[in-house]
Amino acid sequence: MKLKSSFAGFLTFVLAAALLAGCANQKEPAQKAIADIEAAVAAAGPDAMQYIPDQVEAVTTQVADLKSRFDQKDYKGVLAAAPAVLTQAQGLSAAAASAKQAADAAALEAFNAEWTTLAADVPAQLAAVTKRVEMLSKSKKLPKGLDAAAFEAAKAGTDDATTLWSQAMTAQAAGNMEQAVTTARQVKEKLNAAMASLGMSTG
Amino acid sequence: MPEKTPPATGAPPEQPDAVPAGDAYTQWYEVKKGDTLWKIATEVYGDGSLYPDIFKANQDTLSDPDKIQVGQKLRIP
Repeated sequence: MKLKSSFAGFLTFVLAAALLAGCANQKEPAQKAIADIEAAVAAAGPDAMQYIPDQVEAVTTQVADLKSRFDQKDYKGVLAAAPAVLTQAQGLSAAAASAKQAADAAALEAFNAEWTTLAADVPAQLAAVTKRVEMLSKSKKLPKGLDAAAFEAAKAGTDDATTLWSQAMTAQAAGNMEQAVTTARQVKEKLNAAMASLGMSTG
Repeated sequence: MPEKTPPATGAPPEQPDAVPAGDAYTQWYEVKKGDTLWKIATEVYGDGSLYPDIFKANQDTLSDPDKIQVGQKLRIP
């Protein structure tokens, strides 16, 4: 009887030890699985956060869940769930690159459309304002409502607009549409201001 | 053209609906009764002596700087 009891105790000890050993064996792989997922998320970089924030959040939520299981020593559960999460994490880089490419293409299309409008509009406006400045420069006296300071400011603004428009066209020719459009917008602002100062109507 | 050019008469333009061509930024002046090119140049440039520039800019509709008509639309360079 005593022998039987001792054997049962031994068996219990062996089982407990095996269970502990099993757990210990799974701890490191579980830890590594989580680290691998986090590394994959980090590798996706800031583009992932910018272009596919929902997908990044979905993965980080699952990583948090894995960590929670890990803290509860559910290493087996971590190892069971980790591969699917790792696959998702490893897909973030490609998904971010694809989303960035689509966003860049959409932005380029918008810049091209805006440039088309500006390129059809700015030269005529620049010519009209330049001509008026030229006429007023020839005038012996400025018209009513236009003082010398305002005229000089409009003249300087027109000169700036001429220089900037040249820069915008250079940027456009070089394929830098964002720079071209940004500069052309500045040209418009300067010309609109000059027209207002000179009492010209904006069409 | 003397400073005192014949003012615009009340007679309507020959083609009141015809608007000379121009882009969105072309500046226009609608002739009022009593206007002369000199007077218009004085108003828009501050200097009546610049009236020939207005005449040149409107040679498609003006043949004589002394003959402008009320309601006529002139390009102002």
